[in-house]
Amino acid sequence: MVTRREFLGSSALLPFAASAQSGSPVRVAVVATIYTYLSHAQHIGDRFLVGYPNDGTWHKPNVRVVSLYVDQKPKGDLSEDRAKEFGFRVYPTIAEGLCCGGDRLACDAVLIVGEHGDYPRNEKGQILYPRYEFFEQCIKIFKDSGRAVPVYNDKHLSYSFEKAHAMVAASKQLGFPMLAGSSLPVTWRLPDVEMPLGAHIEDAVMVGEGGSDAMDFHAFEAMQCMLERRKGGETGIKSVQLLDGDKVWEAGKSGIWSEELLSSALSRSDTPLGLTVKDGRTQDLVGSGVLPSLVPHPAAYLIEYRDGLRAAMLMLDGAVQDFNFAAHVRGVGLISTQFLLSPTPNVTYSACLVSKIEQMFTTGVAPYRVERTLLTSGMLESCLTSRLQASKRLETPHLAISYNPPSESQYCRG
Amino acid sequence: MAIVGTPVQSSEQRRLKLAAVTTVYRKYSHAQHIVDRLLDGYGWRGTYHHPSMDLVSLYVDQVGPDDLSRERAARHPEMKIYPTIAETLTCGGSKLAVDGVVLVGEHGNYPRNEKGQTEYPRYPFFEQIVEVFRSSNRTVPLFSDKHLSWRWDWAKHMYDTSRSMNFPFQAGSSLPVTWRIPSIEMPLGSQIQEALCICYGGVDSYDFHGLETVQCMVERRQGGETGVRWMQAYRGDKFWQALENRVWPEDLMNAALCRSHTLTPARQGFNDIFPTHDEMRRLVKNPVAYTYEHEDGLRSTMLLMNGLVRDFNFAARLKTQPKLFSTQMYLPMPDGRTTLADFFSPLVFHMEQMFLMGKTQYPIERTLLTTGLTAVGVESLYRDQSRIETPHLAIRYEPSHESTFERS
Repeated sequence: MVTRREFLGSSALLPFAASAQSGSPVRVAVVATIYTYLSHAQHIGDRFLVGYPNDGTWHKPNVRVVSLYVDQKPKGDLSEDRAKEFGFRVYPTIAEGLCCGGDRLACDAVLIVGEHGDYPRNEKGQILYPRYEFFEQCIKIFKDSGRAVPVYNDKHLSYSFEKAHAMVAASKQLGFPMLAGSSLPVTWRLPDVEMPLGAHIEDAVMVGEGGSDAMDFHAFEAMQCMLERRKGGETGIKSVQLLDGDKVWEAGKSGIWSEELLSSALSRSDTPLGLTVKDGRTQDLVGSGVLPSLVPHPAAYLIEYRDGLRAAMLMLDGAVQDFNFAAHVRGVGLISTQFLLSPTPNVTYSACLVSKIEQMFTTGVAPYRVERTLLTSGMLESCLTSRLQASKRLETPHLAISYNPPSESQYCRG
Repeated sequence: MAIVGTPVQSSEQRRLKLAAVTTVYRKYSHAQHIVDRLLDGYGWRGTYHHPSMDLVSLYVDQVGPDDLSRERAARHPEMKIYPTIAETLTCGGSKLAVDGVVLVGEHGNYPRNEKGQTEYPRYPFFEQIVEVFRSSNRTVPLFSDKHLSWRWDWAKHMYDTSRSMNFPFQAGSSLPVTWRIPSIEMPLGSQIQEALCICYGGVDSYDFHGLETVQCMVERRQGGETGVRWMQAYRGDKFWQALENRVWPEDLMNAALCRSHTLTPARQGFNDIFPTHDEMRRLVKNPVAYTYEHEDGLRSTMLLMNGLVRDFNFAARLKTQPKLFSTQMYLPMPDGRTTLADFFSPLVFHMEQMFLMGKTQYPIERTLLTTGLTAVGVESLYRDQSRIETPHLAIRYEPSHESTFERS
């Protein structure tokens, strides 16, 4: 067992930094649940193999994938094909993957993509992807090798806040850079607007669609990357409450969330459903009152921040198929935008994310804080707990997570 | 014939009345996208926008089983459908009774000639509109969707008529006014050395949109637009030969392709991979290029690469910048990607602004030129892809100083 002092003493990022400076490719170990066509591992991992579009060029990262671990090999598995074509091996364990078959860490960065694959769901509806378990195995190799390297963890850190918290704590303890989360915060925006740093945000509504606990997470990340830029920075969350069904519309009528902001967010949508699908017409979904008839199972994820800000994330399956945000900002007025999810199969928004991952892998500095994703992981879990407890409002003292956003905007504008 | 245009009333005094003259009003026809926005409003810059004017009369040339105009008229009793263009403009009376006209002559069942042009009746519709202007001794602003006409001499006549009768005339594609990804503008006065658009679609159809994409950028160069000296089209094998011969620069083509969000994966199992020339050749069965030289020496190229992309991407080489300039003109396209063709929203918004101010928002000469270029491209393909000199396209104009693409 390596103590923290011993670990830090023998640490960690120096060999990595030297490698990057010398210009030799950053050696990346990929740890994935599955590697099939259009799985997250495939569309993220492949960009390190074949390059990706970036600001008008086809960018070839100075990165070499040296190993791949896949937890499941369903029909359509591409892992062996990729290994053969791109000259790396698929290893049967994470430890061997990180050590490239040797007995010590033999890579400069780790890419964990624990999304997709056949995993059970718990009573909250969360898919129990083994991200924490994968991460733990990486940490063990770091400790055993006396060297830690940057880690990217795709999507939420874990379905469990406790596990997510342990992951972030380990990265702090061992002193390696860590990045996580969704591509929503880094994709293009329509319009290309940023929340002004230090904005006095009075109220915010985020609209998303799709299943839990996949798409609600993306919507939270989009919302959080805007709200964290408010005056005083992020202070953490005081309470959450998840409303279902008619209670969602009642909450709108009683001003718990703002119908004006919902209307503003939906004005950014290019995918209204209902009569638009039938005959192509434009629709004022809020003003016409048609919304409840389109959305049989609405959900409102109500978030109360510790500094008093209240925000609502509305999952409106049946109304729209894109992700839109609106906020009242004192002295500015309404700010609203769409977080662009570009079409399948290119899903170019994931190239925006890969450029951030590559930046961390090559510089050793995470471009934004992993605490954002720690918070979104925790707020999602607590909201789903609220749903399980008949929409009870839950105090969330464990989510007193403070952090400052990056001063530079991180979303794609190039 | 000099007719004085009616001073535009301020919206506080009286809501403007509009007439729409259309070919066909079915789901996803241009008339549906445009007229619906005037009737039902649209999401716009963070609110739901209801135009401050009333569409009071509608002409639909072809009413098929999929027609929506009757449903729209029933739901909007303020709008009446008339059997002729003249009655539409006079609202059944004897004199022009509207403050603006929207002409949408796209889609519908019209003859296709031997050159592959669909003979949409924009010119005959225009003639009937100006006939009412003449007989009423009054003109109002006119918007005409897409290119002015499939025939150059008719297009020129439309332009000349708008000038001689002195009414605001706005036209063209939504490509110049839609979102850009990234959201960038060609700096006014840029020294552009070469420009290219890579897009998709058919000849005498989306080629026009590609030409408008190029034109809204290159018209901002130093000296403004000078007109076009010659054009040559390439198709099939000659296209691939031209690519190998560097008739257009490969680096510009690649930069534009790197802006696409719809690059067909050339290899199975990969979702986003840059194609080799051989792979492009396998994916694109019938590519088309229009290469042309402007009067000031600028070379521009428009590529239709069906099978490779399904979006509109632009790239240019600027003298003063080592990095290539490139962006995508973003069309949220209801072909499975979206449900609303929201690129029509900025087109309609700029139309409204013209009606309100009595002043065009961007130069009609852009669309006069791209109309001519489209016809020459079609002609070059028809004449065995020969180079065609274009002295008739010596069209000089200045761009609008204000950017008019959507960004807020």
